[in-house]
Amino acid sequence: MASALSEWVDKQISVITCDGRNIVGQLRGFDQVTNVILDECHERVFSMEAGVEQVVHGLYIIRGDNIAVIGELDAELDAKTDLDTVRAEPLKPVVH
Amino acid sequence: MTSKPTVLDLEKYIDQEVSVKFQGGREVRGILKGFDPLVNVVLDECVETLRDPNDAYRLTDKTRRLGLVVCRGLQVSLVCPNEGLQEIENPFGQQPQI
Amino acid sequence: MFPLSLLTTAKGNPMLIELKNGDTYNGRLVNADSWMNISLQGVICTSKDGDRFWNIAECYIRGNSIKYLRIPDEIIDMVQEEEMPVKDKNKKSFSHRGRGGRVNTTGRGRGRGGRGGRRGEGRGNDGRGGPRGGAR
Repeated sequence: MASALSEWVDKQISVITCDGRNIVGQLRGFDQVTNVILDECHERVFSMEAGVEQVVHGLYIIRGDNIAVIGELDAELDAKTDLDTVRAEPLKPVVH
Repeated sequence: MTSKPTVLDLEKYIDQEVSVKFQGGREVRGILKGFDPLVNVVLDECVETLRDPNDAYRLTDKTRRLGLVVCRGLQVSLVCPNEGLQEIENPFGQQPQI
Repeated sequence: MFPLSLLTTAKGNPMLIELKNGDTYNGRLVNADSWMNISLQGVICTSKDGDRFWNIAECYIRGNSIKYLRIPDEIIDMVQEEEMPVKDKNKKSFSHRGRGGRVNTTGRGRGRGGRGGRRGEGRGNDGRGGPRGGAR
């Protein structure tokens, strides 16, 4: 288990934000409140009707209080996955 | 590195009309009479712009007068001078992008 | 690399800020502080639904109302250029801080000549709260 995000710097990570978005990118930096720098990132929009839509965003700083989940992306598994065939309900936003 | 107490010096907007937006969606505008480093703000002749009762994110043209108001800095989310504030047509090609 | 140092490096550059209430602000970053409070100039504000737009000359945005910031890709290269010389500077500056190699006290006068006057002014603004980011 990661005790800090330092193990994932310069790796591909997947972030789920509090509004239910899934953003994938390279972790460049972070701080104590989990503000995160994501480089070359894109958002993956899931739906039941169509395949995954990837929206390119570039360089992002995401504020820590907007992040629900951060996970390391398995690059091999991701390369094997054909995102056009994936169907999924979009995530709902976090409710406090 | 010396920096002022706030990233934007509100001194230059004293006695001018400013708009203040709050966490939670309320919006007011009024004449800036005072402020402090915590961005607590005093507005005179303050007017709140009301929102659509069904859609909290949609502004209407309705307003209500509030008079002399102290805005709590902790709840402030944005401050901007009304001079130079104008509603415009879509300035981007199709979608807003950087 | 700390997110706040990336942000301070990005001063003067255009960026897109989305707030928690869904509004987006496209403008040039003038200033940022350790709480991510920022000021922007030459701003175009887009409403949450993307149907209304405003020109704003200048604005102050509170850090805790920000959802995310989208910044130009070139900025990350600028930070990496800055980080190299800063690392060398840090080694030298420690001796500065200690005022001649002394251990950092809380600044309560343990003066040299026993004066016990106003010590600790040499430490700069570290007392400010906020996250550790922003290697100044």
